[in-house]
Amino acid sequence: MNTLRILPKYCCKKTQRFCRLPVSQNRFYARPTSFPDFFQNPVFRKEDQAKLVETTDLSKLAAVPVKPPAVYETCSAYHDPLVNKVINHVMEMGKKQLARSLVEKAFENIKRIQIERYHLASTAEEKNKIELNPKKVLHLAIENSKPLLQLSPIKRGGITYQVPGPITEKRSLFLAIKWLLEATNEKERTIHFPEQFAWELLDAANNTGKVVKKKQDLHRQCEANRAYAHYRWQ
Amino acid sequence: MLSRNWRHLCRRYSQAVTFRTTEASPAQQNEKQIGLFYTMNQETCKQLFSQGGFPKSFQKQTKTFTETAIMIRQPALDLINCIKSSDFNKPAIRYVLYGEKGTGKSLTMAHLLHYAHEDGYLIVHVPWVSEWLRRLPRSKEMSNSQTHEGCVDLPLDAASWLLHFKGQNQHILKTGELKVSKEYVWSKREKTEAGAPLAQLVEHGISRVKYACDVVDALIKEIKTLSHNKQCKTFVAIDGFNSFFYPVTRLSTPTKKKVKPEEVTLTTTFMELTKNDWTNAVILLSADQLAVPDDHQESHFPRYLLYKKGFEHLDPFVPVEVGRYSEKEFLSCASYYRDRLWLRGPPEIDTELKFTSACNPYRFMEQCAPL
Repeated sequence: MNTLRILPKYCCKKTQRFCRLPVSQNRFYARPTSFPDFFQNPVFRKEDQAKLVETTDLSKLAAVPVKPPAVYETCSAYHDPLVNKVINHVMEMGKKQLARSLVEKAFENIKRIQIERYHLASTAEEKNKIELNPKKVLHLAIENSKPLLQLSPIKRGGITYQVPGPITEKRSLFLAIKWLLEATNEKERTIHFPEQFAWELLDAANNTGKVVKKKQDLHRQCEANRAYAHYRWQ
Repeated sequence: MLSRNWRHLCRRYSQAVTFRTTEASPAQQNEKQIGLFYTMNQETCKQLFSQGGFPKSFQKQTKTFTETAIMIRQPALDLINCIKSSDFNKPAIRYVLYGEKGTGKSLTMAHLLHYAHEDGYLIVHVPWVSEWLRRLPRSKEMSNSQTHEGCVDLPLDAASWLLHFKGQNQHILKTGELKVSKEYVWSKREKTEAGAPLAQLVEHGISRVKYACDVVDALIKEIKTLSHNKQCKTFVAIDGFNSFFYPVTRLSTPTKKKVKPEEVTLTTTFMELTKNDWTNAVILLSADQLAVPDDHQESHFPRYLLYKKGFEHLDPFVPVEVGRYSEKEFLSCASYYRDRLWLRGPPEIDTELKFTSACNPYRFMEQCAPL
């Protein structure tokens, strides 16, 4: 899987080109910050730093002021930008610690379920098939629930048509995470979020479940409305 | 495919040498095996801990790992050596386990219980005192004591404890060698005669829940006299003992009066048990920060947790500290978790986890969970 595609926009230039965002080195801040525009984003991953040393861009960076890294930008061995993104989507009212603990508990549940399956499986082949890494399960689940097309309402002759069209990488990532969370929140009151989220992720990683069905429904709708496709440019 | 499996097997085997030991009997374990895991027999485990005794998180782990493995650690070995070399004709020695949260006091106790079980002790084990005094499920039942003036009974808790006691000492109670020394009259029609087997007394408490607290009281007295007369040797283990000394409990009477711990009959019973006026017994207690509410958790030392009253009640006792993992223990634990698929990823994660968890066993286990 191409991990670069799911990096947040501020992490690398490749993504920025892909998302057609204005090419700027600045991290997106909701409020004005004390850092002027010419401050560079920090390079906080050890791999990236090694790359800088190799390409001798380091001397260039050494001369310009750099912003301090945010709390979640760590050089820890288990830093994952996508996980961070999901945590931010789960977060409500800025309670990040709670959101993080919820996502981590969901990971724990995934792990327990999968390890149990692993022990139950009889042959080595079956065992190899079971994905035990919860982060990989998350990546797979999101990859499987990303839509490839979208419907946009366009008004022609007084009638609003649902016109199919391509979707940006960023929007499809957003929709995938949003759908996963929506499916999770459609639960009984007695079931806890981490439990349900774990099940949804496992379902989506397995290419089944509510979210994948939703994606397929959207694709079907797009296919049905293909006759309107020309309205996008007419 | 074959070569991959082969490599896998090799790796597993090479790890298996370093973190596991086949010595399953605690009495035989020695200093060389510190930091190694031994697997507890499923049946023993079921007999000893089916009604509680392991912390909840550990219980979960045993299910996930499909085995019950306990690390052999210094405090447990020290205690076993101490017990082996102590003189049982002298008054019972009291050991108090203490240590920070999550360092393994309860698991050390579980290890010692396994030892006691193998060595043929009569086990009197209270899994968690706070379960009685600080936990309030909907079905909590309280009644005024008939025998103790101004005291409160917890019949359901007492009955479930009797069940636990019966389960743990099946093999000793079955033989019927332990006899009740005097007659107990419960009501007009019900009484336990002198010379009846101890199992009958326990059965009575379980079937007539109303008298469960009095039965526990009688049972403890009987056990004390029995072991004083050298008819059996007793191993007392009480986890979260300091809960008995916190000024108030969560319980309240129907008239909304807060109950103090000394007003609960079970407290007086187990206070009696932990005195050192009897012989032929080992008393293992633990002082735990988690057994008392947040406002009294500043220190993990026994003097602070037991208050002056508890400290004087237990004095003289042998304090045993359960500490964090040492370098070697941490390494073996990490490789055990890797073997059980609980921890994965590059080896540099280990060093990182070592720093973030500060070698605290519980925190290490918890931080491995989402990885």
